Amino acid sequence: MTPLKNRAIGFTCSYTPISLIEAAGFSPYRILPVGDSEDQAGQWMHDNVCPHVKRVLDRTLGGDLPENLAGVVIINSCDAMRRLADAWRRADPSSRVICIDLPIRSDERSVDFYAGQLRELTDWLGAISGNTPGESDVSSAMARFQVLAEHFGRLRGYLAAGILTGGAARLQDLYNRCATRPVEASIDELEKIVADESSRAKGVPVYLFGNVMPDAQAMSLFESCGARVVVEDLCTGSRLFKPLMENDDDSDVFKVLAESLLTGVGCARTIDAAPGATAGNVLARAKAAGAKGVIGHTVKFCDPYIARMPGIREFMREAEMPFLMLEGDCTLRSIGQHRTRIEAFLEMIG
Amino acid sequence: MMKEYFDGIVGGIEERIKNDPENASPRMKYALEVSRLGARLYGGSDRVAWCGVLAPFDVLSAFGVASCYVEFVGASLAASGMAGPMLEASEHEGHSPDTCAYHRAVVGAAGKGLMPTPDFLIATSCPCTAGVTTMENLARHFKKELFVLHIPQENTDSNVRYLTGQLEDMVEFVAKQTGQSVDWGAIGKAVTLSNQTSEFLTEIYDLAASVPSPVRSRDLRDFGVVMPLISGTQAALDTAKVFRDELRARVESGEGGIEDERLRLLWIQNRIQFKNPLEKILEQEHKAVVVVDELNSVTWDPVDPDDPLPGVAKRMLSSPFAGRIDARCDHLKKLVRKYKVDGVVNPCHWGCRQGTGARGLFADTLRNMDIPVLNLEVDCVDARSFAEGQLKTRIGAFCEMLAERARPA
Ligand code: SF4
Ligand code: SF4
Repeated sequence: MTPLKNRAIGFTCSYTPISLIEAAGFSPYRILPVGDSEDQAGQWMHDNVCPHVKRVLDRTLGGDLPENLAGVVIINSCDAMRRLADAWRRADPSSRVICIDLPIRSDERSVDFYAGQLRELTDWLGAISGNTPGESDVSSAMARFQVLAEHFGRLRGYLAAGILTGGAARLQDLYNRCATRPVEASIDELEKIVADESSRAKGVPVYLFGNVMPDAQAMSLFESCGARVVVEDLCTGSRLFKPLMENDDDSDVFKVLAESLLTGVGCARTIDAAPGATAGNVLARAKAAGAKGVIGHTVKFCDPYIARMPGIREFMREAEMPFLMLEGDCTLRSIGQHRTRIEAFLEMIG
Repeated sequence: MMKEYFDGIVGGIEERIKNDPENASPRMKYALEVSRLGARLYGGSDRVAWCGVLAPFDVLSAFGVASCYVEFVGASLAASGMAGPMLEASEHEGHSPDTCAYHRAVVGAAGKGLMPTPDFLIATSCPCTAGVTTMENLARHFKKELFVLHIPQENTDSNVRYLTGQLEDMVEFVAKQTGQSVDWGAIGKAVTLSNQTSEFLTEIYDLAASVPSPVRSRDLRDFGVVMPLISGTQAALDTAKVFRDELRARVESGEGGIEDERLRLLWIQNRIQFKNPLEKILEQEHKAVVVVDELNSVTWDPVDPDDPLPGVAKRMLSSPFAGRIDARCDHLKKLVRKYKVDGVVNPCHWGCRQGTGARGLFADTLRNMDIPVLNLEVDCVDARSFAEGQLKTRIGAFCEMLAERARPA
């Protein structure tokens, strides 16, 4: 593994305040569930725990992490993540692991609470770096991530219009790289990417949502089946680089950051103000993007997603929006096993 | 169906007590009170709240609401042998068999119209993510308001304040839903009753730790997780007292729960809810008694009746399920020492991420104490996959191994 230029802080969830990591002088490094580390997580966790978490733990136990990782931020977003923090601390007592609490909702009390968690995280990061970032450091890091988010917003616009060379696979590759290196390098790369108006991508427009699907080749697989992913809403995709809220001089940056992370398009682990609203949001976004069908993807044993899928399926049926649900284990192979179903689905809606 | 089930238990026990009051066991009294709650939930005349496991039931009882965590319904469906069709119904609706069957059974029952429509719902983020998503699904199904209590990991002053604030919101929410004003006097009374009940519970658990233990495996099964459902009531206090008196008498006379107790076991999390012979086999074939369940413990301080919510918040945060696994493992270590257990049984309930996600961590903790663990790998609610023969063999081998080891000092 190539060491990063400066020290990095690992993270595993799209609710992580990566701006704080950046403000503290570290490079955020998303520990994606990729690679071929040996299965060792099984000694700590049961087989029925989500493969996302287990593969991250496998990478840790197998030494497949950057040498310059100074610590890891885990978000208490679900039971699996909570247990990841527990197992990590136990398996490697010398590691620095912080597990911060994530509220279930996004009301004012929740935002205040999460802002408090972010302050604690800042102190923890400062204790490692020897220099606790101040509010202005946080603001300027947020500004850099906002630039990155805007670039990604522009690229998603190209994707929706079919004028992003390389399509969804390229976008996924960019997400992965931008999640594992300093923000400046990411901005440098993204600002150079322009639309290719000379030709428009073909395929059946689909809306893709779910949790963890970091392998760019999975997107190629969808495209090779005849799909054109016009919008994706994935934990390993657009949700990581969400636009941040306006941060004026008087505002509490931690509150602004907390609110930015808790609101907008969220993960299924966050409970909607109106129960069941997730399905309506998926449908509205799919329709707005001109999708002819919706593909939901979840890794196995992910309670937040698998609990919601039947309701979403029912809602889509009532709305006459074709829906295909896929379950995988974060590997390309597991998505590949669904090829025939994906092709049949696209044929039906194409 | 469930109404008949609970009414049947209530009627049956009342009859038995009437005919033979001398032989009314504490477990009978406990089953009666818990079933009375079930009968109220299904009776159609009380206000009903479906809740998460750590909801403050004493506070809710002060509003006169029949409130219950939905997992209790899942467990009751399993105990009554009715879970199978509910599980099938939920799977038919697309719910994955990889999820916790406590929830799946309830979702299936709701889909079949066999769960009473609640007046409102209160979810708790502890013990599990699946509990919260289930409550959201139920709120959507019943089209009723859902309140969510987020219980953070650490029992710190700022987290107590945060949770207290949420409890204040919850009290307002319940007042609005029930159309009542908040009666702080009634809430104070309810927490006073739960404080008194907790004192008895502490005594009960201390008595159960005696050698030999005065309990049989079934006496206090899931006691610590079910008693909160009726807490804040005179019935809970009376039930706890009856148990305390009975166990005290047994200890004073040196009478063990079973004759010739040889092995003492700790059971992690919840027991198997459907009828099964494992506890009987443990006792009859191996002289092994489950002397303590993981949640049979009073981990909280008395709540101030004049300012109850901060104390209720602390009580919730004190749950071994709320914090880091290290806190839960420390709790297990204390139980192992206090109850002088020879071995630990972990059912590893299928679908429970927070529980099975800690399987290796429990084993590691107990290994360091030289305490063997039996990981059963069962679904505690779904009897369809119960492999009785295999489990008997494993339990037999485990007990033989324990018997060969020297009993811990
Ligand atoms: S995939 Fe699901 S279960 Fe796994 S870490 Fe993410 S939210 Fe949790
Ligand atoms: S068994 Fe586990 S997943 Fe099921 S209700 Fe209990 S804590 Fe939740």
